[in-house]
Amino acid sequence: MFKELYKSRLRCQGVTNGLTAAGQKSASTQKPKTKVEDRFEPRILAFCCNWCSYAGADLAGTSRMQMPPNMRIIRVNCTGRIDPVFVLEALNQGADGVLISGCHPGDCHYTTGNLKMKSRFALLQKMLEEAGIEPERVHLQWASAAEGDVFTQGITSMVERIKALGPNPVKKD
Amino acid sequence: MTKRIALAQLTSCWGCDQSLVDLHLGLLTVLPEIEIVFWPAVVDFKLKDLESMPDQSIHIGLVEGSCRTEEDVHLLNVMREKSKTLVAWGVCSCYGGIQGLANQWNLEELVDRKFMKADTVTDPRVPSENVPVFTETVQPNVDIVEFDVLLPGCPPTSKNLLDALTALISGKPFDLPEKSVCDQCSKVKQDKHIKEFHRTHEGHIDPSKCLLDQGYLCLGFATIGLCGAICPNVNTPCKGCFGPVIRVRDHGAKIISALGAVAEMEPDKLRESFPDPIGSFYFTDYAASYLSRIRTETRRKKKK
Repeated sequence: MFKELYKSRLRCQGVTNGLTAAGQKSASTQKPKTKVEDRFEPRILAFCCNWCSYAGADLAGTSRMQMPPNMRIIRVNCTGRIDPVFVLEALNQGADGVLISGCHPGDCHYTTGNLKMKSRFALLQKMLEEAGIEPERVHLQWASAAEGDVFTQGITSMVERIKALGPNPVKKD
Repeated sequence: MTKRIALAQLTSCWGCDQSLVDLHLGLLTVLPEIEIVFWPAVVDFKLKDLESMPDQSIHIGLVEGSCRTEEDVHLLNVMREKSKTLVAWGVCSCYGGIQGLANQWNLEELVDRKFMKADTVTDPRVPSENVPVFTETVQPNVDIVEFDVLLPGCPPTSKNLLDALTALISGKPFDLPEKSVCDQCSKVKQDKHIKEFHRTHEGHIDPSKCLLDQGYLCLGFATIGLCGAICPNVNTPCKGCFGPVIRVRDHGAKIISALGAVAEMEPDKLRESFPDPIGSFYFTDYAASYLSRIRTETRRKKKK
């Protein structure tokens, strides 16, 4: 019965006068896997702020620091721009983890964007916990433009953490 | 030509029917235009009456409630087959309703709590005869069949219903407003500097000022403006029962996004301010949230 329900859910075209997450389909965005992987390699989405962490990631790259290649970076102007919806959408689409990396408190280019993210993150983690989803899948870190090593370290430990947790069950196989 | 109308109930409190009946004499304006062919809440119609109607023979089908049992799913599918225009009537039908909060637990835990461990039960047993099977989770109805019109509300006010019905009967489109409850609220809003959150019974509410400014969790900013701000206007914080503002994908995520920006307190204190964030931020639409979807999918994978 439930298989049928899910099928019909995929068939339905949404409604005409506006809708929430209900109308969003995540299935279509998944790429089919070409081969069966023996080892679990997490796919982690990183939101990096333009002024600190993205520059830090750049520095890590130009300094040829070694880090695992499991990260896909999206640059945002400020971590304060990151809506918790982005994080949940990423998890719903099958990301194994979401890393948010911004300026150290006090260093924000827009003065308090990172602090707003910190407050949102506190509530988001509590919500994930209550919903029964591992809160460790989402992580917040600070890394300045000069801290390529901190950024590298952050990514390495994030990948280790997610490997210990295992894949996101939502991921289509 | 009169329009044939069917009104069906799935799992719900039937408050939406109450709201319709509350139109009183207002009903007279629409009654001559309609012929009610199915309304078990008021007249003794049976499911087989509905099933025996030809497909697409009902002009407007209104469905209230969400699917907690397989019987609900069946009735919903029948309503879709028989109706030309299918209306999700009330927030349960649009987003899963309060019963969607049950998606935080597995079905076994829910059945155990309800039938075996309920405080008032003296002879605990799970009913098995003449009852429909429970669905594993509460899915929003819009995930099961296609709807043409959404009319959220818990319940939609009598005026909302009259507006929607008059529009649909005359063949006009019924669009949801772009506004939020705050736009309809008469209280004076200022820059927000929230140092502390209070429960509704704590302190004294200044009736002229915005409730959120005073530190009461009023969710009007993220909630669709259909109700006319009936709660905040009488000093009761909005619980968000009409569901999110149009085009907001996740009600609770939007709420924490806003709270993170306006609360002037340490993140830990903010975290401790809400002992039950899901209950507070997804009062009637948890089933439609990302969190519930991820959990549902996780459960489904585990069962395989």
